[in-house]
Amino acid sequence: MAFENEAQKLHDALVTCKVPEISKAVDEAHAAGMPAADIINALGAAMSDVGVLFERGKLFLPHVLSAAAGMKKAMETLGDELSSGATEEKKASAVMGTVEGDVHDIGKSICSTMLQCAGFDVHDLGRDVPLGKFVEECKAGCTFCGMSALMTTTMVQMKTVIENLKNEGIRDQVTVMVGGAPITQGFCDKIGADIYGESASETTRKAQDVLGA
Amino acid sequence: MTEYYTRMGDGRRVTMTKEQIMNDIQAGTADAADMASIPALNANDIEHMCEIIMDQSRVVGVEPGHEVVMTYDIGQLDFTGDNGNSGNGVDMGRLEAALLHERALGADTFELAHSDYSIKPVKPVISMEMQTMEEIQAEIIAPYFYGAMPNMGLYYAPDGPYGNPADLMREFKIEESMASSEAAAEHLARDIEFVTTRLQAAGSDGFNFDTTGSAGDADFVGTLNGVKKLRELCPEAYINVGAAGESVMGIHGMIEFEGEIAAGLYPHQQAQLVAKAGANVFGAVCNTNTSRSLAWNLGRAVTFIKKAVEDSPIPVHVDMGMGVGGIPMFETPPLDAVARCNKAMVEIAKVDGV
Repeated sequence: MAFENEAQKLHDALVTCKVPEISKAVDEAHAAGMPAADIINALGAAMSDVGVLFERGKLFLPHVLSAAAGMKKAMETLGDELSSGATEEKKASAVMGTVEGDVHDIGKSICSTMLQCAGFDVHDLGRDVPLGKFVEECKAGCTFCGMSALMTTTMVQMKTVIENLKNEGIRDQVTVMVGGAPITQGFCDKIGADIYGESASETTRKAQDVLGA
Repeated sequence: MTEYYTRMGDGRRVTMTKEQIMNDIQAGTADAADMASIPALNANDIEHMCEIIMDQSRVVGVEPGHEVVMTYDIGQLDFTGDNGNSGNGVDMGRLEAALLHERALGADTFELAHSDYSIKPVKPVISMEMQTMEEIQAEIIAPYFYGAMPNMGLYYAPDGPYGNPADLMREFKIEESMASSEAAAEHLARDIEFVTTRLQAAGSDGFNFDTTGSAGDADFVGTLNGVKKLRELCPEAYINVGAAGESVMGIHGMIEFEGEIAAGLYPHQQAQLVAKAGANVFGAVCNTNTSRSLAWNLGRAVTFIKKAVEDSPIPVHVDMGMGVGGIPMFETPPLDAVARCNKAMVEIAKVDGV
């Protein structure tokens, strides 16, 4: 495999979760001739490992955020080459947000980052997102709709969004993903969502499975 | 098949077969071993723990001659606090509480505590605390400390001057979040020096830092820096550093004490840093999972603590109370569970004190 050594260094640097080390590894890989898309793919694979370590309590939230910041910086550094078409097309577009009435969004933000790292074009609407915004984004072309809630009083909004997608006649074109502390597989099934993710990495993995990636 | 009365982590009574108890102990010890990359309990330890849990006596204990030191945290609040504050709602003065613990409850050490039980609120009432310390020292014979939680959460907005990492991280302001944690940790260390040195001057035998690291790794590091300063200024002080959990939570992520990153340290690693800071005793902690059985929680807790005892350069007094050390998370922990967990900690983990 070409650039195997560089790919390993990129992986190791990202798992340290230190932005300067990630940037250094990116610069070295780029200088060695590794294509920008391959660099981003290597970092994306490492980001999945960071997610697993986070789930197992080996890494913590600031580590995940630092790793994501390192990856974001790499995308900025390689921006010209990536935007010149040298990279692969985005796998799909996903709208992400914490539903109206709920302001908890750390988990959702991590999930957005991991989806981006996995090659999705993510439209993160933030927190306390009016329900109509989810439908608007889906009508505009997003084929994945990710909703988060941390309260039992707000999680019921997810069902309303699904009903609205049905009313607009686009429910079959959209994969609905739900997550957050009070959400369970049972709730996901009950409201007719497609994917329940207990964690950001599980959601990302299931979304990739839908695409057969 | 015979079933034995035991408990869930929330205190609920359940019955389990020996096979179920053994399976849960094995799962609990395996979880701890995996989390901290330490050895799981051996077959003899597991069998002994199972026997302790299955004992049909309501109260169990260690054999004469194997008793360990028993010290208390939270001061008089275990009586005066209400049910939401680990207490029994029995009002009494701090002198009476100290003498009651010494003369009726078998406490080998005791401590004076402020009603908030945190370092920061002691500052404005330090003169009153010093006076009370001096008065009670004139009456009590057992070593008498001052106790408080570092509780660095009080230094973050809205209770303190520094930006709250929970808010900053939500906005992906990771560098600002880290800077805020570092500033709060420095402030905490200064306050620890202020409070502890004055209480030592008033005659305190030492200081108990309770629930160190409750606000994460920077809380842990700030406290150890305060402990280091106290050791420098008061070489005779008896210092007990109790932890907040089995793992130091990473809120900063990279902050170090003496070149060691604090985030993610487990009890056997925490003990090394606590000793390096100058403490005399390490209060190791393992939190209880309320959805799991006593057998699972005890198997997990003893695994962490046994390794800490083996590796610690200073004595380990395990924290045994509601929601820690395998004991159910219940305001008044069931006596049968308390007795069993303590016996297992002494006989299997070989703790120096409780």
